[in-house]
Amino acid sequence: MKDFDIEKLERRNIYKVPDNLFENIQGKVMSEISEKKKAPVFKLNWAYAAAASLALIFGSTFVYNSYSDSDEDVNPTSTLADNQSAPKTESEIAYETLKSDLTSVENINQRSEKQQIKTVVYMPDQKDVTTTKPQTVKPVSKQTETQMAEYLDSFSSSEIAELANNSTQDVYLDLYN
Amino acid sequence: MKIKDAEIIALMQNPRTLEKGTRALMDAYQSRLYWHIRRIIVDGDLAQDTLQETFIKAYQNFHQFKNDSQLYTWLYRIATNESLQQINKLKKMQKTDEDPEYYMQNIVADNVQSDAEEIQIFLQKAIQSLPEKQKLVFMMRYYDDLPYEEISKIVDMSVGTLKTNYHYAKQKIEEYIKENYEK
Repeated sequence: MKDFDIEKLERRNIYKVPDNLFENIQGKVMSEISEKKKAPVFKLNWAYAAAASLALIFGSTFVYNSYSDSDEDVNPTSTLADNQSAPKTESEIAYETLKSDLTSVENINQRSEKQQIKTVVYMPDQKDVTTTKPQTVKPVSKQTETQMAEYLDSFSSSEIAELANNSTQDVYLDLYN
Repeated sequence: MKIKDAEIIALMQNPRTLEKGTRALMDAYQSRLYWHIRRIIVDGDLAQDTLQETFIKAYQNFHQFKNDSQLYTWLYRIATNESLQQINKLKKMQKTDEDPEYYMQNIVADNVQSDAEEIQIFLQKAIQSLPEKQKLVFMMRYYDDLPYEEISKIVDMSVGTLKTNYHYAKQKIEEYIKENYEK
C-alpha cells in the first residue's frame, strides 16, 4: 500500500461493547461509594462501642465495689438490730443449732463466710466479734479447745459413760475404748 | 442539557452534593474516558473495571483537584495511571516466552466487532506495537485531539518530547500498515 496517510482515516472505535455498559459502571461506582461512605461511620461506631464498653466495665466495677462496701456496712447494723431484740433463751439457741445440724450435710459445707460471721453474733462478747472479725473465720481456736477440755473434766466418769451409751457409736471413739 | 465543568466541580466540592456531582461527572466523561482506557487496555472487562476505579479515585481524591487545571486533564491522568497499572499487572501474569506486542495484537483480534474494517483493525494492531509513551501520546492526540499542553500535564512530558513521540508513532504506524495491509 503506497501513499497511506492515517490522518485521512476516519476515527472509529471498533471494539465490542457490552449492553448497558455505562449503567452498570455507574451502578457499581455508586454502590462502592456508598460502602466506602459507610466505612468511617462504622469506625466511629466502633469508637463509641469501645468507649461504652469501657464505661460499662468501670461503671459495673464501681457499682459492685460500692455495693460490697455497703453490704459490709449493713452487716454490723443488722447485728445491732439482732442485739436489740429480746435475748434468746438457751433452749431456743439449742433448738436452732440442732435444727441447722439436722437440715443437711450440704448446708454445713456450703456455709459462706457471712453465715459463719452471723452465727458468731450470738457469742457473748460482741465487741470482740466485731473487732476480730477475721479470727471468727478460723474453724477452731485454742481457747475453745481448752474450754471444751474444762467442760469435759466437769463430768464424772459415770456421767460420761451414760452420755456415751446414749450417743451413736463413732468409729473414731473406738480408738479410746 | 449538557452540564458544564464548573457546575460539576461546584457539586463535587460540596460534601452534601458530592454524590450528585460524581453522577454528573460520570455522565459527562464516561464515554471519552472509557475509550481512552479501552484503547490502552483493549480487553473489555478489564477496561470496565479500570473505568470504575477511575471514577472511585476521582470521588475519593477530589479534594486534591486544583481549580487552575482542566477537569478532563485531571481525569485523563487518573485513567491513564490506572490503565498503565493494569497493563503492568497483565505483563507480570503473562508467560515469559510470549512476545508482549504479539499478545496485545491477539487481544485486539479477539475484541474487535465482527463488521469492523480491516484497515481499522490493522491500525489498532499497529498502535499496540508501539512503545508505551508513543502509544499514549498518539492515542490522546489522534483520537481525542487533545492539545500537547494538556497531554504534557497528563503524562508528565515536555511538549517538545510529545511532538517528537507523536511524529515517530505516526511514522511507525504507517509503515506497519503499508507492510501488512493488502499484502
